[in-house]
Amino acid sequence: MINRKITLLGPEGTNIYVIFQYLLFNVISWFTLFNITSELSFNLENILVRQIIFTILGLFVFFFFTYIPISNIISLSTVLMISSTILLIGVLFTEESLGARRRYDLGIFDFQPSEFTKVIFVIFLANALSRKSNNIFTIGLVITNLLLIYIQPDLGTTVILLLLVFFLFFLTDVKLKNLVAFSLLTFTVFFVLLEFNLVNTFQIERITDFYSNEVKDFSQQQSRLQISLGGFLGENLSNTSNIDIFVPVQTTDFIFSSFSKSFGFLGCVVLLGFWAIFGLRVYSLITTTDSNFEKFLLSGFIILLYLQIFINIATVLGLIPLTGDPFPLLSLGGSSIIAISSIFGIINRIFIENNLVI
Amino acid sequence: MFNKYRLNFVFLLFSIFLVVIFSDLFALQVLDNQENTQQIENQNFEVFYIPAARGEIFDINGNKLATSNLEPYLFLNLRKINDNNKNIYVQLLEFNFEDITSSEIDEFFKSNDVFTKIINLSEYNTDIRLRLLDYEAFEVFNLPTRTYPYKELFSHVIGYIGKPNKDEQNDFPKSINNEIVGKTGLERYYENTISGVASEVIVQNGDIVEIKPPVSGKDIQLVLNTETQNIVKESLQAGITLANKNFDTINLIERGAVVVQKIDTGEIVSMVSLPDFDPNQFVLGISEFDFKQLNRTKAFNNFAIQGLYPPGSVFKVVAYWLALNEGIFPETALNAQDYIDCEGSLSFGFDDGSKQVYQDWKADGHGKVNLSQAIKQSCNVYFWDIALKIWRTFGNTDSEALLQEYSKQLGFSSLSNIDLPFEKEGVVPDRELFEEWTISRPELVRPEGWLGGDLMNLIIGQGAITTTPVQVSNAYRTLLTGEKSAPFISLDSSDRNIENINISEEFVEFLLNDLNLVTNPGGTAYRSFQIMGDQIFDIGGKTGTAQNAGELNNTSWFVGVDSISNPMYIVVTVVEEGGSGSAVAAPISRRIIQHLRESDLTPVEFGEITE
Repeated sequence: MINRKITLLGPEGTNIYVIFQYLLFNVISWFTLFNITSELSFNLENILVRQIIFTILGLFVFFFFTYIPISNIISLSTVLMISSTILLIGVLFTEESLGARRRYDLGIFDFQPSEFTKVIFVIFLANALSRKSNNIFTIGLVITNLLLIYIQPDLGTTVILLLLVFFLFFLTDVKLKNLVAFSLLTFTVFFVLLEFNLVNTFQIERITDFYSNEVKDFSQQQSRLQISLGGFLGENLSNTSNIDIFVPVQTTDFIFSSFSKSFGFLGCVVLLGFWAIFGLRVYSLITTTDSNFEKFLLSGFIILLYLQIFINIATVLGLIPLTGDPFPLLSLGGSSIIAISSIFGIINRIFIENNLVI
Repeated sequence: MFNKYRLNFVFLLFSIFLVVIFSDLFALQVLDNQENTQQIENQNFEVFYIPAARGEIFDINGNKLATSNLEPYLFLNLRKINDNNKNIYVQLLEFNFEDITSSEIDEFFKSNDVFTKIINLSEYNTDIRLRLLDYEAFEVFNLPTRTYPYKELFSHVIGYIGKPNKDEQNDFPKSINNEIVGKTGLERYYENTISGVASEVIVQNGDIVEIKPPVSGKDIQLVLNTETQNIVKESLQAGITLANKNFDTINLIERGAVVVQKIDTGEIVSMVSLPDFDPNQFVLGISEFDFKQLNRTKAFNNFAIQGLYPPGSVFKVVAYWLALNEGIFPETALNAQDYIDCEGSLSFGFDDGSKQVYQDWKADGHGKVNLSQAIKQSCNVYFWDIALKIWRTFGNTDSEALLQEYSKQLGFSSLSNIDLPFEKEGVVPDRELFEEWTISRPELVRPEGWLGGDLMNLIIGQGAITTTPVQVSNAYRTLLTGEKSAPFISLDSSDRNIENINISEEFVEFLLNDLNLVTNPGGTAYRSFQIMGDQIFDIGGKTGTAQNAGELNNTSWFVGVDSISNPMYIVVTVVEEGGSGSAVAAPISRRIIQHLRESDLTPVEFGEITE
């Protein structure tokens, strides 16, 4: 490793590009939320103020992980996975809200452990796959976490995690027929659970309804119309009069629809364009680095982020049933922002350790 | 091993996803923009809000002091009513509900809302409900109903609810859709916590397309004790009745307040203010006549936090603390133990040559008194001497407001920050305030401004000083613990800052000892506490009788401390125009202390008229 001086922005400088993208996505979120509230009152109830506070906390997390060597993260991966398991067990004993037990009520904000499980999953799997460790303990932890999230119930997150496992296995040299077998096994387990009534039928009904009924979900139908309202330039640039439309809560899972309304097709191209560029930067890093762990880790992060984005947009567009996944760094929500800040921090660290510092 | 080719495949797959999303977005936003905008403008949505259940309120033993029950209500969907079917619905209502008059039925159809509320169905047979729901314009929604099982008992602490006005809609946005807001008490203070988010019923062309469920408000856990509250109210009422029997006052004596506070934490165990009201009356809307009737008796005032009275002799502990702390004693006394002669009056001269005579409440005088005796017998002359000493030493200098500084340190003239709204702060007068009043309220001050006599009035809690019962309770707590913090009623109260005040253990012991003398033989409250037998040696207090202007009877005060060996509770009692503190407020407090000590309760009996 080339000797570099320790700087304020990181142990050996920082990758300006990563921090720039991180801040950019956050600021886009601020503008979107500002368009929704159109008021700025300085109290913790105001969603914009909340989001700005989360961003500031997120920045601390970003730099915290920038200072942690990747080797430490490798050695901590099992500990992290076990703490995720404990937090997910604990959350089952909390008070039910809106039909699920997903978060700890910490007074001024809620703590949702499954957001962190997503990140820890990638770290743990990257470590397991790069060492080819397939002992019963490893597999047990993965399945336990999946089940714990599934019974919250949180089908959306469970599906994302299953897809993540699938894609990460796909990236190993495992034979494709084994992968097909793995998928078939998952489906079989699922249908066995369904047969024995161990599945929350409410969520399944939502899926079957979605594909059988002609009538779409009200909130999805309205959000699709709202996106359309944005036009090419969006409401902010074109002088269209503000048209009122009934829409579901827009600050969290449906934020993309109000982003599209405010910034139009052009805004969508810019936002998704930046995410694409970010993906390509990380892709080049994957090809550069020699460490198998880092390859799996970076791929896992990119797959996780992209899956969340695709699923979120597809939901808002009404292409798939409601899942309840946040849009990374755009949706309001402390747990999600902090978790994704740690992803960006770790990616920044890998850039630094590979001497890719601008 | 990591397979790079498969990674390329994943990226390719993701690119395809991206293209699919972009094409759909392009179709929506660019190609179909006009058409969809038109469609949105044609959407004829209306929203109808159903109030969310407010959180429930519990006392320390888990008794429900305020409950929210959901009850089914019949609604009529007016968008489904037309000239053809209107008669059918009128007949259905007339046939099924005898209580509804035909003019009321006419009113139902005039509403501009989507839905109009007809009647509470909970008392009707479920068959009726099922039969009516066969008709498309009938809808049943559950509405929360607030009830206060203890009726008047907690009226001032819990407060009442009502329709929000403009200001309240601004301050509490959730109240707009709930159409209910806490008007006073805890219902007001914790409005943001206790109120939920109203359910939204979205209607398009008369059909319900979406119902967003309500979010209930959060429950509130109090530290109040219902059993104590009952005893306190009973005792206060009995005391007020006695006062009316024994005094020939121009006004009916009917107002009073009691605060029972725990010394170690500052929590409020009981708070009663009389006269009171039944908050249940407000749930369905109170008639204007009833409201005015209650308002005339000032039943909506919580005198425990809003009653501003001169404290009289209960204020003497401030000077007591000052005297010991600063070593300021009457001219002829060297220390707290030294005696002076009290001849029943004090005459003194000022630098300007004027001479004045002040009369003690006991014309013959208290004889030989030191600081302890002055508290025990509530001797004014002793404290006037201290005031004179302060005046002669510091008068007209920067330090002249010494007594005021001590009282402000104990929380007088500032809000106690208890978790109740609309608390009043009262005043501790000084030269500055008098100068301010000369301009703003000239009727309150003499043209000469602030004089030594005003300080002498202040030291015995008379004159311009005003305070609330909760302030007095909290001040005594500060003196006994050295901790100044906001009293609280709910466990969720946010203000838990503790300011430490320099008070020595030695002082606390000294003060407790002297407060004990008040209830012992020779003390002003002995007669009222005598019935407790040997227990009086472990109880303390201070009587207060504050003079009022004009022909109004005196304000009756008593601050009780239970106990001396293990100080747990402070009981502050005030009866407006209740006369001597030792005769009325003291026996009320005695009965409450009997309850707190779990000893046998004896009736409130008229005590000795002292000050």
